[in-house]
Order: sequence, then C-alpha cells, then structure tokens
Amino acid sequence: MSWDYLFVQASNGLIIGIIYAMIASGVTLIFSILKIVNFAHGDLYMLGGYFAYYAISLLQIPPFPAVLVAMCGVALLGFILERLLLTPLYSDTTERKDEYGLIVTFGLAFFLRNIAVLIFGPFPLRPPSFVAGVQNVGDLIISNDRLVAGGVGALMILGLLYFMNHTIWGQALDAVSQSRDSAAIVGISPRRFNSAAFCIGAGLAAVGGALVAPIYSLRPDMGVLPNIHAYVIVILGGMGSVWGSILAGLFIGEAETLFTAYYPDFTRAAAYSNAFGLLILMVVLIFRPQGLFGRRHLRME
Amino acid sequence: MRPIPLAIVVLLTATSLATAPLYNSYWMHVAIIAMMFAILAASWSLLAGYVGLFSLGHMAMASIGGYTSALLVKWYGIPIPVGMVSGTVMTLAVGAGIGWICLRMSGPYLAIFTLGFAEIIRIILSSEDQVTNGMAGLRVTPLFDSATRLPYFYLGFVFLALSLLLMGLMVRSRWGLFLRAIREDEQAAAASGVAVARFRILAFAIASAFAGLAGTFYGHYIGIMTPSVGGLDLMAVLVVMTVSGGIERLPTAVGGAFVVEFLLELLREYAQWRLPIFGAILLLTMRFARNGLLTPFWLQFVRLGKVRDDAAPGIQ
Amino acid sequence: MSGSAELVRGAGLNKHYGGIVANVDMDFTVEEGDLIGLIGPNGSGKTTLINILTGHLAPDSGEIFVGGQRTNGRPPHIYAAMGVARSFQVTQLFGRMTVLENLLVPGLTRRHSRREAVVRHARETLEFLHMGHVEQLEAKNLSGGQQKLLELGRCLMLEPSVLFLDEPFAGVHPTLRDELILRIQELHQQGRTFVVVDHDMESILRLSRRLVVMARGSKIADGPPAEVQANQAVLAAYVGL
Repeated sequence: MSWDYLFVQASNGLIIGIIYAMIASGVTLIFSILKIVNFAHGDLYMLGGYFAYYAISLLQIPPFPAVLVAMCGVALLGFILERLLLTPLYSDTTERKDEYGLIVTFGLAFFLRNIAVLIFGPFPLRPPSFVAGVQNVGDLIISNDRLVAGGVGALMILGLLYFMNHTIWGQALDAVSQSRDSAAIVGISPRRFNSAAFCIGAGLAAVGGALVAPIYSLRPDMGVLPNIHAYVIVILGGMGSVWGSILAGLFIGEAETLFTAYYPDFTRAAAYSNAFGLLILMVVLIFRPQGLFGRRHLRME
Repeated sequence: MRPIPLAIVVLLTATSLATAPLYNSYWMHVAIIAMMFAILAASWSLLAGYVGLFSLGHMAMASIGGYTSALLVKWYGIPIPVGMVSGTVMTLAVGAGIGWICLRMSGPYLAIFTLGFAEIIRIILSSEDQVTNGMAGLRVTPLFDSATRLPYFYLGFVFLALSLLLMGLMVRSRWGLFLRAIREDEQAAAASGVAVARFRILAFAIASAFAGLAGTFYGHYIGIMTPSVGGLDLMAVLVVMTVSGGIERLPTAVGGAFVVEFLLELLREYAQWRLPIFGAILLLTMRFARNGLLTPFWLQFVRLGKVRDDAAPGIQ
Repeated sequence: MSGSAELVRGAGLNKHYGGIVANVDMDFTVEEGDLIGLIGPNGSGKTTLINILTGHLAPDSGEIFVGGQRTNGRPPHIYAAMGVARSFQVTQLFGRMTVLENLLVPGLTRRHSRREAVVRHARETLEFLHMGHVEQLEAKNLSGGQQKLLELGRCLMLEPSVLFLDEPFAGVHPTLRDELILRIQELHQQGRTFVVVDHDMESILRLSRRLVVMARGSKIADGPPAEVQANQAVLAAYVGL
C-alpha cells in the first residue's frame, strides 16, 4: 500500500480518535464526580446528532451553530435526566449505589434508543455538510467534513483540559472528584457539581454526534458502538483520569482504523476491529481490574 | 409455602395445563416464549439479584447453548436431547470460566466485561458464516414432529418447573444464605467462612447453564438460531423483565417475564411504542419501587391464610 | 505464658501501600488464653496487621502460621474455618438480612453443621448478647452498639479459638460498652483468646493481660500493662507521633 493510503487512514484514525476521546472524557468526568458508569452515554451522542439535524431542518439554523444548539439542548436534557433519575445517588438512604447507577443508566440507554426510533423513525438521516467538498491526497481523498469534525473535536478537548486545569470551576470539579467531603467543607456544593458534570459530559457527547452526523449519517442505534468503545477507552485510560481517556481514545481510534485498513479479509475487517477493541478491554480488565492509568475504583458508600 | 397460596398456585397450574389443547396457537406460542424468558429471568436474578453480579452476558449464554446444540445435531446427527444436554453442559463450563475470570471484578466493571463478552460472541457468530450461516440464521432441527405446538408447551412447562425447583432448592438452602451474604458484604462473608470465590463461580456456572438450557429449547422450538439472540437488545428486554418484576426473588422475576412478554404481544399494534414504554417502566421502577413492582403483591400472596405472626427462621 | 499453644503467629511481616509503610518486620504471636490489647497511634498499622493475620491481605513478605500450619496465600474463609475470627473497624454486617440470618451464615459454613443445631446455637448466642428480642430485625436497623454486638456474635458462631476485634468500642454508648467488656471477659474465662484493638484506653486497660504497642508499622513494646505503661518509648510514640 502507498504512503498516501497510510496518510489518509492515519488521519481518519486521528479524527475518529478525537471523537472517541470526547465521548470517553465525558464518561470519565461523570464517573469521577457521580461515581457511576453512564451506560447511556452513547445515546446522548446519538441525540446530539439528531438535535443538530432537526435544528438545521426545522429551525433553519446553519450547520455550525446547529452543533452548538445540539450541545446546549442535550446538556439541558442531561440536566433534567440527572435531576429526575440520579438524585437517589446522593442520598444516604439509597443502598448499593453502584448497582442503582448501573441499572438506571442501562435502562435509560434502552429508553432513549427506543424513543428515538419512535420519534425520529428507524431510517438513516443525513444532515447537510459543514463544508462541502474534499481534500486530495495523491489519488485519495479526505472529506472536508472529516477535517471539520477533527478540528472542532480537538478544540473541544483542549477547551475541556483548559477548563479542568485553569479555571476555578474546573479545579473545583477536580476537588469534588477527589473527595466529596473535603469539597463540601470548603464550601463547594457537591450537588451542583453532579449536575454540572453530567451536563458537561452530555454536551461533549452531543457535539461528537453532531460532528459525525454528516459523515456517517444518523440512526437511532448509532450510539451502541460508541458506548462500547467508550468503556474500552475509559478502562484503558483508567476510570477517573480525563487525560488517560483522551490518550486512550486517540490510541484506540488510530488502532482500529489502521487494523480495519490493513486486515486482509475486507468483509470481516470492520466487525473484527470492534471485537479487537473488546478483546483488549477484556484482557486489561483481567490483569488490572482498575484500568491502566486509573485511580482505584472508589465506591460511593 | 403456606397452604393457601400453594393450593392456589397448584390449581392455576393444573388448570392451565389441562386446558392447553384448547388454546389458540398464537397465544400458545407466546406462552412458550414467556416460559423460556421465565427461565432466563429466574436464572439471571440468581446471578444479579442474589449474588449481585450484574452480568450482561446472560443472553449470550443462551445463544451459546442454542448454537452448540444446533451444530452438534447438524454435524454429528446425535439425538436432540443429547444435543440439548451438551449445549447446557457447554454453557455450564463457559459460565464457570467467565465467573472465574471475573472474580476480582465487581459492579460496572463486571457489567462492561460481560457486555464485551456478549458482543464478541455475537460478532463471531455473525462473521463466521460458513459455520453458523451468519445473520441469515442457522436452521435447527425441531424437537417434535408435530402439527401443533402442544408438545413444546408441555415440555417448556416441564423445563420451567424443573428449573424453578432446582433454583428454589438452592436459594432456600444454606447456599442461598451464602450467596446473599456475598452480595451484602463480600468481605464480611469471607470473614464469616464463606468461600466467596467458589460461590461466585458456582453461581455463574449454574445461572449460565439454565440460560443455555433455555437457549437450546428456543433453538429446537423455533427452528432457527440467529446471532441477535445473544444481542444487547434482548438482554435489555431481559433486564426490564427481571428488574420490573423484582430482581431479588425467583417468583417475581418469573412474574416479570410473563407480564412483559404478554404485554409485548398484547400491545403489538403499538409496535414502536412498546419498547419505550417498557424502558420508562424500568426507570420508574428503579426510581420509585426498586424492589420490583410485583414484589408487594407476592409478599401479600404468600401471607394468605396467615393468622398471626410466628417467629420462624424463614428465608425469603 | 510459655508452654501455651501458639494459636496465630506472624513472622517478619512487611506491607507497603504505595508510599505508605504499614507494617515493618512485624513479629506477633498470639498464645492460647491471651487477652491482648493492641494499641498505637493512628496509622501505626494495627488494622493492616489484623488483615494480614486473618487472611484478608497478603503481606509483601513474611509468614503467617495458624495452629502451627503455614497459611500464606490462603483466602480469609480458610482462616475462619481454622478458628480465627475477626470483627471490622467499621461494622460490616449483612444489612438486609435478619439478625438471625447474620448468625446463621457463619454457623452454616462449618463442616458437618446441621441446620436445627445451628439455629439453636444462634439463638443461644443472641441470648448471651441480650439480643434475643431483635432476632427478626434487619441488621441495618440495629443501633450502633447492637451492631457491634452482632459482629461479636458472628465471630462466636465460628467457634473460634482466637478473636481479633478491631475497635469494638468505637462510638458505643458507655452502658453498652461495659456490657461488651463483660461479655469479652466471660468468653475469655470460657477459654477463648482475644486480640482487641481500640483507642479507648480505659477499656483496653480493664481488659488486657498483655499490651502490644505499635508505632509507624513496627512493634515498640510487648508485655504486661504496667510494664508497658512505664515504657518511655511508648510515651514518646504517643506524644511525638
């Protein structure tokens, strides 16, 4: 294969890795603050895509602002869901919080997936391009939409990192993730941060969905695979480490794309690339049940 | 069980069995599927409700059982019962293996791991189509050569009754106490002398074996096995059934399976609405009635005829 | 008390967690009939020692012997079966199981145990702890002091030769605490061996025949209370930290 092919595939891998990193860092953030794995994260990503689509088609909003609308819309939805469903996690009378978080987010994923079929219909939809056209690399091409997705995604990630490390709110979030009690003593209200964490995580996922929609089109079950990828990434990068998820996300995105590109049997390649990621996940969990970089799993009780 | 509730259960069961030949074929099919789900729900509640291991690979086990039996019968021409036993034994072994691998995992990690396992199985079954015929489905030799579904109905009932009997005995025995202790506090259980590792593996093995049995029955009844049997969608339905019924008891899990399966069929005209509604029911159940919607009814039911409270060292 | 059977022995135990040194070259022997008070400032490694001696934690190096047999690497339930019982610093009960069921679990793990006999034994134990009336209550609904008593009961159901009690008096109402002390003394007279960790000096001194003091992961004193209390190193450890 040619250098051009490698370049194109590697770029695709990087772009996909950036999207994965966005989704996974949201899962990690929610895990650090709320101490649960959000099994519905992929479906928030899916909703982001649909929100953007309908913002463009119903409200005549242009593609770029539609991403923003999708982000805010899903973040708001996230806030509502968190208030409705997740508040028992903060009360002392709820037992086995791990299990509660697990079943509720799993049920939420099921609910969102199926209500999307009901509302949006089961057939794929595709919103218009951000920037029409393609870039040529020798005989091969990369679509502009992919470049936009990669670029905006990278900006979001950098924004997240800046927020977490250099703003007061971000550092407060970090404090709460380390110790809820100390944060409360210093006067930070953990409850407000639960909502904030969930909303930010949801918003990040939504942007991912909105960016990817013109490239891969929208289906109600488009969140299922990213969900699984998110777990692979978060566990590899370590639950609780945003940096780790970003790095792991980029790595997985790259590894999967290159695996698919170079695996001899094309018909099986795509399916097995997913299995490959899962296999890595399972192997890691066997030897290090707490992930590669992560802090040890802290239970809420 | 107290005499009055027991009499009621026996009466209802005997009546449904005796009147079975009169059932409409369609509803008999629904009943058979419901019984299969009941076995799956009960065995999953053993794992997730009693021991606290939230495995998302349960339907994958059913799938493994079904495919194993189907393929062995197809390749080697063995009698179907032997195939079914092999399928069950296979899932017993795989379940034990998964249980052993997952010993140090708990909560969400276990869920993610078993989810990964289920997905890998599904992908392999879909992709290796020379062997399994992939997504088109593998044709399976039917168990009975019969014009009606009646033999399947009775056999399904026998399987369900046997499964509940065995699981019920286990749950009422000291093993049941040990399993619950592991869920309550694994460290305290170990300090109390419970061989935690052994029981976790045992629970996985036994629960998976019952799932495998249900899977073999499904394959040889419907006549076809598809990779989606082990997929996440059906697993989610199983979770809805078991949790809304009541995850901590066998009867409520079984009840949940029957109710959801029959509702799914009754609401067939509202096709797209059914699943979101059940999703919502699951969420509401978790939020407001975490023990399960059927649990209060069951607890009242078993108290029928009780005159006054006697202090018996009951296990329920 | 040389000549008494050695029940549990830890030799040369070392344990680190990340940067924290929990146990350094610890030697600890429990002989039959002992009533040992294990004390020391916070973080001196007492709970880690108990965890190691009861199988809940593997030491980085060193050996553990129960009844003369080397038990390194065995899981905690084996220790329990060999007669080593322990309670936890923060009570860990089977919250949603009844008080009686909490006692049935350890009782039924014993070989050749039969249900009726275990139920009877459990009820006797509850009577001994003055908790017969709460048999059907869910363990999580007990008061703090009753929960501590229940943990003691859970240990007793194993028919242990040695009991490690980790802070049994923490947060316990004085009346209940006195009752707890009486129970422990009664059980000791019946032949059971105790190792009690606590910060409640008064209770420890009332109970103990032998004091072992730890600081920063190692043993700095071991002997009769009067002797240990006069030991300068001990005073320094508590004051200097």
